[in-house]
Amino acid sequence: MGQSSPQSPISRIARDISPPSHISPAAVGEGPADRQAAAAVPAELEIRVHGRGGQGGVTCAKLIAALFAGQNRYVQTFGDYASERSGAPVRAYTRVSAKPVRNRNKVYRPDQLLILDDGLVNAELLDGLDPGGLVLLNSGCGLTGLDPLFAEYRVAVVDATAIARRHKIGTRSVVIVNTTMIGAYARFIGLKMVDVEQAYRDLGLEADLDAAQEAFRTVEIRETFCRKEHAEPVVMRQSGRVTPLTEQFVDLPMPLKTGSWRTQKVIYEERPAPCNVGCPAGNDVVGFIQALKNDGVEAAARILQQTQPLPSVCGRVCPAPCMSRCNRDGYDGAVNIRGLERWIGDHQQDLLLQPKQQGQRKSFAVVGSGPAGLSAAYTLALEGHWVTIYERDRELGGLLRSGIPGYRLPPEDLDRDIVRILLLGVEVQPGYTLDTFALERLLENHDGLLLATGLDCRRSAACPGEDLEGVEQGLDYLRRAKQGGNVRLEGHVLVIGGGNSAIDAARTALRNGARRVSLVYRRGREEMPAIAGEVEEALEEGVELQLFCQPRAYLGDGRVEAVELAEVDLGPVEADGRCRPIVSDRSSRIRCDHVLLCLGQSADLKLVPDHWQIRDGRFERAGDPLPVYACGDLSTGAGTVTHAIGDGRRTALRMLAGGPAAALSEIDPPSSPAVSAEEIRFDYFASRPPTADRHLAVERRLQECREVNQGLPDASEAERCLSCGHCTGCDTCLIYCPEGIICRDGARYAIDEEQCKGCGICAAECPRHALRAAALDGKGESCAAN
Amino acid sequence: MRSELISANHAAAHAATLAARANRKGRGFCSGVYPITPSTECMELLCAQEIEKGQVVRVEGEHSAMAVCIGSVAGGARSFTATSSNGLAYMAENVVAAALLRLPMVMMVANRTLGPPWNIWADHGDSLLLRDSGWLQFYCADNQEVLDTILFAYRLGEDARVMLPVMVCQDGFVLSHTMAQTLIPAQEQVDRFLPPLSVSHRLADQPHALGSVILPQQTEVLRRRHHQAMGEALNIYPELQREFAEIFGRELPGPLVGYRDEDAELLILSMGTLAGTVERSVDRLRERGVKVGSLRIRLLRPFPARLLREKLARARRVAVLDRDISPGFGGVLWGECRTCAGAETLVQNYMLGLGGGDVRPEHIEQLVDDLRGRESAGEPMIMEVGV
Amino acid sequence: MNEPALNGMAQTEHDRKKPLLRPGNTNCGGCGMSIALQMLSRAIAGQPVQLVVPACCGAVAVGNYPFSSFGAPVVMSTFACSAAVAGGLARVAALNGEETRVICWAGDGGTYDIGMGALSAAAERNEDILYICYDNEIYGNTGGQRSSATPLGAATTSTPTGKPEVKKEILAIMAAHRIPYAASVSLAHPEDTLCKLRLALEMRGFRFLHILSPCPTGWKSEPSHGIQLIRLAVRSGLFPVLEIRDGRQMTINVEPDFSDLALAEYLAMQGRFRKSGVTAMVLRDAIRRHWETLRSAPTGD
Repeated sequence: MGQSSPQSPISRIARDISPPSHISPAAVGEGPADRQAAAAVPAELEIRVHGRGGQGGVTCAKLIAALFAGQNRYVQTFGDYASERSGAPVRAYTRVSAKPVRNRNKVYRPDQLLILDDGLVNAELLDGLDPGGLVLLNSGCGLTGLDPLFAEYRVAVVDATAIARRHKIGTRSVVIVNTTMIGAYARFIGLKMVDVEQAYRDLGLEADLDAAQEAFRTVEIRETFCRKEHAEPVVMRQSGRVTPLTEQFVDLPMPLKTGSWRTQKVIYEERPAPCNVGCPAGNDVVGFIQALKNDGVEAAARILQQTQPLPSVCGRVCPAPCMSRCNRDGYDGAVNIRGLERWIGDHQQDLLLQPKQQGQRKSFAVVGSGPAGLSAAYTLALEGHWVTIYERDRELGGLLRSGIPGYRLPPEDLDRDIVRILLLGVEVQPGYTLDTFALERLLENHDGLLLATGLDCRRSAACPGEDLEGVEQGLDYLRRAKQGGNVRLEGHVLVIGGGNSAIDAARTALRNGARRVSLVYRRGREEMPAIAGEVEEALEEGVELQLFCQPRAYLGDGRVEAVELAEVDLGPVEADGRCRPIVSDRSSRIRCDHVLLCLGQSADLKLVPDHWQIRDGRFERAGDPLPVYACGDLSTGAGTVTHAIGDGRRTALRMLAGGPAAALSEIDPPSSPAVSAEEIRFDYFASRPPTADRHLAVERRLQECREVNQGLPDASEAERCLSCGHCTGCDTCLIYCPEGIICRDGARYAIDEEQCKGCGICAAECPRHALRAAALDGKGESCAAN
Repeated sequence: MRSELISANHAAAHAATLAARANRKGRGFCSGVYPITPSTECMELLCAQEIEKGQVVRVEGEHSAMAVCIGSVAGGARSFTATSSNGLAYMAENVVAAALLRLPMVMMVANRTLGPPWNIWADHGDSLLLRDSGWLQFYCADNQEVLDTILFAYRLGEDARVMLPVMVCQDGFVLSHTMAQTLIPAQEQVDRFLPPLSVSHRLADQPHALGSVILPQQTEVLRRRHHQAMGEALNIYPELQREFAEIFGRELPGPLVGYRDEDAELLILSMGTLAGTVERSVDRLRERGVKVGSLRIRLLRPFPARLLREKLARARRVAVLDRDISPGFGGVLWGECRTCAGAETLVQNYMLGLGGGDVRPEHIEQLVDDLRGRESAGEPMIMEVGV
Repeated sequence: MNEPALNGMAQTEHDRKKPLLRPGNTNCGGCGMSIALQMLSRAIAGQPVQLVVPACCGAVAVGNYPFSSFGAPVVMSTFACSAAVAGGLARVAALNGEETRVICWAGDGGTYDIGMGALSAAAERNEDILYICYDNEIYGNTGGQRSSATPLGAATTSTPTGKPEVKKEILAIMAAHRIPYAASVSLAHPEDTLCKLRLALEMRGFRFLHILSPCPTGWKSEPSHGIQLIRLAVRSGLFPVLEIRDGRQMTINVEPDFSDLALAEYLAMQGRFRKSGVTAMVLRDAIRRHWETLRSAPTGD
């Protein structure tokens, strides 16, 4: 403190300019070389700098001194030294004079004020500054956002924090703004950038010159000010009574409000979990798993059933994209979400959500009872409307019933989910075959129509010999199997395709007499669209894979005897991330007795009248939108149960909203990015591999027709859920708050904003990233709020 | 009350023990002690005592000895320690702390020359080093006075109007190791004289910060109070003196002890045992017709300036005897006293008996001769008396 | 993880109404000492305590007289002698039959350096006090000079290019006094922290706890990174978390994985190691040797 120590550059500068005692103060200003300086530098100047511990206020005052030392002035600079820590308000002072500076007291009547943090602004801060005095303020709010307190002063505003942060001066949360401020200051008082450069070089601060330059350029200056009448003279403040040391004094509460120190604010903010984002059905995965963990299966079902009409089904056959996005995947294995969904579906059979009470109940027809149709009907019924499902078959379920083998989806589990839907009051017209005419009639009798007829056309590879006896569509074969028809096969069965139906067909064939089953797929195992677990099970049971080949022709005399398989090379990666298959000239011949084609399906729209056009999933007649929507595979072609369920629900809601496609954003509002694995504090979670589903032993699978996958042994897998982005009330934030100012507030937490120093430990330590530290501008609020 | 032939070190230990036991109805007694010549025997005897509700902690150094005392008094107990010379210097930081925290306690200092070079004999340089520490400072002249002053010091320092620690100094060896008949009061008498200690600002069970950060203005006020408390000690001295006499049946000397000084034209000022020798010389000089008297500063802090001014008013010549030196200045006592003499009075400083040099009556007579022959006061003089 | 952490015992009504460290204190944001005091508050849970705080950031944290940011009786001692002052307080409490636990709350300067004499002596006398050293590896109160707790390579204002010497092994020193309990505490393991604080409060005789306390200001790190830094120090083996009873039986409480990655991250997250360029490779050998010594000690199981 003081006029600086002998070693410091300041004193060197000061000494260097000390000798001009023979030059009178007037002469300094009148010399031709000093004309510029004279314009800027009054003979006597007192400057006060207000900052916070850590911002560099003392160095700021020192830089000002260096600037003036460069202008042939005597200077003195010092700071207030007290017990305050990083973030606490501190002051520093600079005196400038044409004569040596002798007095050693602090500055009470400053000519200029530098405020390094606009959070410090209050009337007391301006104490002693006469009207017309200079104030340089660091603020992101510009001159327009200026506090009325400054009306009497000449003011300059610069966003030094933003500039310094851009130039990476200080740390992220404690930005050092002093060197930036001086750029703005120099401009304000009429000095040039060269003067600044000299001072920074003297102090070894060249690295910060760019920031100073930017501040020099961008500082906003207001020279005008208004004069107000001052009634009360400045008086010395008297402190209150001093408590005697020898008293057992009454315990006093701390008067300091440290909330004003902070540069960032912490906000409890729910972020989407990747599983939730990744669930095509729109299930609140975190919600139902946490409910299962904390409150039991009924609570979980209550959440799950909001969006999921078919938990027992999806819990068995869903490809579970949620699991591949689970943040635990790269740590110790994804949470077995599908298994947990199944657990809830199978263990909570009686819960029935209450439909809403609608003032105006409407009537809707849903055509098709696959997952999309069931989901749409369920959604509409829950919303409180009349729904009738029209189904071509005698039983509901569509492909769920006909296309998925019983060892994978036992009919009773499907029935259980369907019954729950029907209990909501959904009416059913089974065995109801529609044609174009009937469809138009249906529209007349209902307020709206939802087409969920799925993909009805089986694809083929258009290879020669597909019409040979023994070549059959896999789905037809599976349907026959479910309906108890003759599905006995003998010899070597070839299944063409790599999806779930292909696996289902292959495993069904194996259970019905086939000696050998080979699955032919044109890409590799990794690329197979089938659920990996299903492929694994099929291989365990003896299904062979013939990869990187596809049929060129089916050979035989009336009946298939062999297949000519062309080898496939992998080409460049395509948009879907998989490699394009390129069929080569190389081929081989394999003997076989049966071929099951599982090459996928496509939509069949011949039911729809010719004069209806479909746009964005909604039908129009002569440009007029009809209350008719397509949903599920018919609309999206996505081909999974979960996509169909999600689309059924969304389309139903969209139909209720009656709006265009844009209305979809209201149904599923776009969310912030899902919490990533990098944002999880895995240290809080002991490594614990996932609980696998239980499976029947391979030998028993082929003998008995029981379900192969027996599901989870218990619900403990729910404990592995990280609850990404969703506060679980784990107390970690509260335990680590250094100030002890986070407290429970109902089920969650509240922060005492008056005292929060903004250290951000609570946010950094949150195991699941359910709270976030956000930078504060100015007085603790963003400028936009002013 | 019994009379024993004991050293002043032991007299001090007895006094401390009596005071310690007297607080058994209060929050007890706890003391940190560490040996150093010539105060060691005091702590040894203290360590041998059985003290009901009392403990003596044998620590690893004087700094910690005083720290234990600070902790003990902060906890509301009575405390005591004893030290000398470099031990006191080493303890200094905490000596100051005890006073600034307004923790009443008593420390016996057996004065000894600071070193190195090492010298174990008496001079006052050690305790004078801490003249400004905020403690009361007594300098005793005989064994009985050491015992009595320690008891008195507790009563004075613990008074709610004072609340300050007290240093009771005695010349090393000259008193500390010198046996004399000493009256040791009965516990019952001491119990009457020393009520249980009440440290108003002690740590209890409610939040209370003792010694936290203070700002300049608070410091100004607290220092003023400290200063005023010193003044209070002087004010209440006579009142406590009367009570002491009532209970123990003997007089306790005042802050300033005069000897044949009423009509003296020539006064010899001194502290500690030096005064005893001076008084003998006064008798001899009076026989020779020299109108000389002695003044003993018994209480250096608070400084009995008013009393001294009255005493010096009539004297024409004053010799200030210092068993200390502030190099570059002169005697410390001289610095204190000279402003109390009138403008016409000649005040001459004699520093003697440094490092335990044995001051004999001849030396006193010699300096009186010097004083009588002076036209005006000269520079402070160092008299070499040692052998 | 167990949820809620610490079985939900944190932030009881008592915590909120009578915290040991009150809001409005002047410690830096993200101060490890503050976190440790919050944990101590939970461990104390309303028992009568008295604190002795020597010169250190903690003494300043108490705040301006007559306000106190400490929700317990506290006396500020001189720098070197908190253990001795505490000894006096503890003995007086015992003489008066009080259950009051006396706690020294000292920084590394007051423990490793200037206070070592009084600390060692108080330990040898087996004074009935709980001595807690919150070690931020720097003289924080004076603006960041080296102490004998400053680790190798850390830049301080008195070792601007990095400290050339290694950190003093305080726990071994304290254990050598054969005190009933000496333990190092990881703030990144709240169960460990609370358990040791509770145990140490409950025991009698001299108990010593060493808490590695992140100091964003001195370590030149983000205030929010404090706990993560401790976690990395523990994981990498740099800061062994253990307890030693009666100077003999040692138990390792947290097994490190000795991850070089964690060690490198620990160094990279702090500005103080930048100048010296000390690397994980440099430290790894010393850590290995230190753990070999630890493993060869008799265990407490």
